[in-house]
Amino acid sequence: MPLTRRGIFAAALTAAAVRRLRGADDPAVIPGKRPMILHNDRPEDLESPVTYLNTWVTPVDSFFVRQHIPRPAAIDVEAYRLTINGMVSKPVELTLSELRKLPQYTVPATLECTGNGRGFYTPKVPGIQWGRGAVGNAEWRGPRLSDVLKLAGVSQSATYIEIDGADTGVAATPDFIRSMPMTKVMHPATLLALSMNGETPAIHGFPVRLIVPGWDGTSWVKWVTRITPSDKMSAGFFMNPGYRIPKYNLPPGTPARPAELEVIEGMPVKSTITAPEDQAKVAVAATTIRGFAWARENAIERVEISTDGGSHWRDAQLSQPKLNFAWRLWQIEWKPAQPGYYTILSRATDSAGRVQPVVPAWNPSGYLWNGIDRIGVTVEAA
Amino acid sequence: MRIALLLLVSSAVWAADQATLERGQKEERNCIPCHSLRIVHSQRLSRAAWNRELDKMAGWGAKYTDRDAILEYLVANYGDDKPAGKPEISGDGRR
Repeated sequence: MPLTRRGIFAAALTAAAVRRLRGADDPAVIPGKRPMILHNDRPEDLESPVTYLNTWVTPVDSFFVRQHIPRPAAIDVEAYRLTINGMVSKPVELTLSELRKLPQYTVPATLECTGNGRGFYTPKVPGIQWGRGAVGNAEWRGPRLSDVLKLAGVSQSATYIEIDGADTGVAATPDFIRSMPMTKVMHPATLLALSMNGETPAIHGFPVRLIVPGWDGTSWVKWVTRITPSDKMSAGFFMNPGYRIPKYNLPPGTPARPAELEVIEGMPVKSTITAPEDQAKVAVAATTIRGFAWARENAIERVEISTDGGSHWRDAQLSQPKLNFAWRLWQIEWKPAQPGYYTILSRATDSAGRVQPVVPAWNPSGYLWNGIDRIGVTVEAA
Repeated sequence: MRIALLLLVSSAVWAADQATLERGQKEERNCIPCHSLRIVHSQRLSRAAWNRELDKMAGWGAKYTDRDAILEYLVANYGDDKPAGKPEISGDGRR
């Protein structure tokens, strides 16, 4: 009896001490954002609840945020300069108005954090424990990166560009610098965006953000201030060992082998269920199951839904347009015959025939989760 | 007897409580210069994984006043045998 009492007492007091410490995590409000799943407020790592993701264009106030290091002080748009140096015939420093004078293009594209879904991996891996909502779809607008680079005359020998933003590391954290191969640099959909859904939110990397449609979010460098064509890949942390995956699958829980990692480029095919919410209760009545699906540089061809744990599948209705790079919304009517607990699954197929797997490959950093989405719903008698 | 026992238990618990608090305060002092503690408290990792994280952060400039105490605190409160915390939701930041 005394031991039990002591145990309870100790647990209660220690929990109180931990709660007191968590006072350091005061409630946070992120200016311009609806209530978001808060993984980190300094710097901001914000996940969208999936209930916000039922429109083709995700509004800026609902769009997820991933910052590796604290974002830079507000950028003066008059003083802003984009430096292009390195393997070029004419190094330049471009103003925003010079970027605005180039032909402007709009590219609708889905942006997904490389670690979206990390929280679903077993065993657990370090990193932000994202669920379903580190993804959104926006209309990005600005000049083509290839047109911008023409102003500096890129050498034929350059095989990569190095891209740096205005953010800098704290203490000894590395600067966020990325490389991109020239084939993707020259793609007509690769932009230096000057706006997102017609807005220029600093929290999302404006006044100038790199748009790399179909590639993981890490490639979409924010607050771009320098582009350097080169004949080699950047050696910085965020290219190696950061943001790499094993060349071949490892047994879950196995440490990374640095020599056997490769850079992540495109994202896999994936679908997500947004309604009903996981563990919701619904009446025995017609219910709409809905969500979204996206597929790297491809388009979504098909989404299938199961309401019986995967024994039977039906095709969902897909929204138009069918585009490369951008997600499609999907929905399907469901009328459960009787009360009970139902496991609902969604499975996407893309225009290249890739199908969302039951079990995605575990990897030591928890990237690229794309397992068939799964929710549970309790149907109650009316 | 019961009062004496409770006092004894209370003082033992107080000591444990203080130790938790002090270890947590070390965590605060050593970690929050670069990021909020939310990113730490939302994870559930094994001892080996927390150990690697402390090494990684040391490489990025973290200075530990008592590395062992921080590791024990992380394993005890945010170990992979602990249930996941409830997701925290930010306030409404729209004007």
